[in-house]
Amino acid sequence: MIDHGLLVQMLIGALLGISVYLPLATGQLSLATPAFYAVGGTLAALLSTRWAALGARVDGSFPLPSFLLELVLGGALAGLLALLVGRLVLRLQGIYLAIATIALVEIVRVAILNLPFTGGAVGIFGIPQPFPTAAGYLPPALALLLLAGWVCQRLEVMALGRAMAAVREDELAARCMGIATTRVKLSAFVLSAVLAGSTGALAAHFLNTWNARQGSFDTAVTMLAFVILGGSRSWLGPVLGGLLLTALPELLRPVGDVRLVLFGLVILLGPALFPQGLVTPALLERLGRWGEGSRP
Amino acid sequence: MPQRPAPWPAGSVATAYHPPSLAGSLTSSPATTLPARPSWRERGALRLSALLAAGVGALALLGQQAEPAARAVPPADAPNGALTIGAVIALTGNANLYGQDQRVGLSLARQWAQSRPRQPGEPPLRPLHFQLQDGGSDEATAIAGFNLLIRQGVLALIGPTLSQQAFAADPIAQRRGVPVVAPSNTARGIPQIGSFISRVSAQSSVIAPLSISEALRRDPRIRRVAVFYSQDDAFSTSETAIFQRTLRARGLTPVSVQRTQLADNDFQIPITAALQADPQLVVISIQAVGGGNLVRQLRELGYRGPIVVGNGMNTANIYPICQRWCDGILIAQAYSPELDTPINRRFRELLRRSSPDHAPSQITAQAFTAYQVLFEAVQRLQRRGGLQSVSLGQARKALMAELLAGTYDTPLGPIRFTPDGELVQGRFYVAEVRMDPGGRSGRFALVRETASGDGAQ
Repeated sequence: MIDHGLLVQMLIGALLGISVYLPLATGQLSLATPAFYAVGGTLAALLSTRWAALGARVDGSFPLPSFLLELVLGGALAGLLALLVGRLVLRLQGIYLAIATIALVEIVRVAILNLPFTGGAVGIFGIPQPFPTAAGYLPPALALLLLAGWVCQRLEVMALGRAMAAVREDELAARCMGIATTRVKLSAFVLSAVLAGSTGALAAHFLNTWNARQGSFDTAVTMLAFVILGGSRSWLGPVLGGLLLTALPELLRPVGDVRLVLFGLVILLGPALFPQGLVTPALLERLGRWGEGSRP
Repeated sequence: MPQRPAPWPAGSVATAYHPPSLAGSLTSSPATTLPARPSWRERGALRLSALLAAGVGALALLGQQAEPAARAVPPADAPNGALTIGAVIALTGNANLYGQDQRVGLSLARQWAQSRPRQPGEPPLRPLHFQLQDGGSDEATAIAGFNLLIRQGVLALIGPTLSQQAFAADPIAQRRGVPVVAPSNTARGIPQIGSFISRVSAQSSVIAPLSISEALRRDPRIRRVAVFYSQDDAFSTSETAIFQRTLRARGLTPVSVQRTQLADNDFQIPITAALQADPQLVVISIQAVGGGNLVRQLRELGYRGPIVVGNGMNTANIYPICQRWCDGILIAQAYSPELDTPINRRFRELLRRSSPDHAPSQITAQAFTAYQVLFEAVQRLQRRGGLQSVSLGQARKALMAELLAGTYDTPLGPIRFTPDGELVQGRFYVAEVRMDPGGRSGRFALVRETASGDGAQ
């Protein structure tokens, strides 16, 4: 069965899924999320273990306000980085953007590996805990997910969100209509980074330890799988994909050694059976009409 | 904000738009372009999110379970009297090479425990179940494995395979008061995670210097040393620090330090760079596959001098990789197959019987030892009555105290623990790889045995 620790991991997966989804909503295949996730996590790990003013105690506990402050700071730092990098990389499109963002992930990884204060390959361990059990992480993770979902849902009806959709459908046409496409793309990129940074700060405490391996290219592929299985046309797709794909390897434990084979099959069959992902606009429409007798 | 009326119906994708600042756009209400009531799709999204939220809430409620630590430990002769030892080791991911060896070691230890001759008059043993879970090679999977087994009410845990995983998963066991014996964590600071954490794997700081000493003993004129290590691997970076410290203590400064990546298999460039410095000794801290390739390429590119390798290559799995080029490399070990004690003979015999083509290795012996020390501590506790009418939580605590108090005769030699769970091991070994004439398989031939005064430094 699913315990609270796994549930927190699932929520983290859903948050990262949304973070990959946001640039995709403007048609930009960005794999930079692990870089921002790593930045947020490293910042939280450093602050909580090195900066005594945050109030980490000898018994390994950590005050809640400091934890929340780290979520904000992690998001802010990642957002700032995205703002700086985004101007540069968002000139690229499609596969070139993907490659540039992979390069960003590598740069951040190698930087964390070699900076004198990030603990090298071992990383930072003994990260203090704001909560005595894994269940404590549920409210902040859930709140972060609700906030992200609310923003995404608002975007659907907001000018920015519609501009994002327009850029996704046809960037040239969008620009002809007077949309400042670069700013729209940059906004989505920064939003995605803020979310990934905050999630990283949360994950650093949850994992007890943080190292350069957390934000690697492999992670980027996993996160992309969340969006591809879940569907990239609604923010609920990556949420569902993140929840499912994080839980699946654990739920398959009873089958023993072949569990990762089955997991791979799901990833293979998912896009084959649901080419648009599990959550499609048509599904949402059907769900919305469900229970309504008359057609509008 | 200039905004023209949209010529298309509300609800279609775009309106003419100059994006305002991000903060402004989140709060502004572009109600003029919105449909009067939520569209079907929006309502569907709300319903689906409510459904997901309800699902997550239900899972959170279901996940709330009674803490098994409060359960009473049944008497030994009751039908459910068996206690469970759990193990979380890397059966998947890039550390699975080690995990597979550990799985063999754990299964041998269970055979050993079941087939142990009973002394006359010995009280009945406490039966032990064994639960093996895959801990993957990453932190999250190790945490999930620990959580799963702790929830199932294990008495103690063995694992995880990598030190980085231990830093993530051990604090969870510590908080829940579950004893952990690490079979292969060699990083500094593992037993210091908490009072319930111990290990049977000697730190690299204890073992690594021995092989350098052996190389320098063989050729005291060595002055020029080249060092290789993978810089993105926790184990290799900490080990190379020890190697380099040892070299400095001997007055040797590396003439070349080459940093490689964990995933590298082609080392032509770093080797060429290192060979330009004309080294008389090469010291390698790289995991098995990469290290095997590096040794082979070093020889192929013309290096003829001695090679010292680190613990990552302490497995027979390197033989097929570097083949005849492995011959002569020096390695320090916490285990020697040639140790002639009853328990090591028994270990080798069980291994020969269950997997004839599996050469005895340090990782396998350490996993065996991890189970053995837990088994012996449980039985001692059982004999002293420490498992009678106690809760599982109390039994775990008593077991930890018993574990640290005991001394053990293991395939690694005699061992005990310091009060904070660090291993104290009596003997260490330096071995030289000797390959068969075919170059396909070989063995770690013991060249020197070192008695250590105190294994914990």
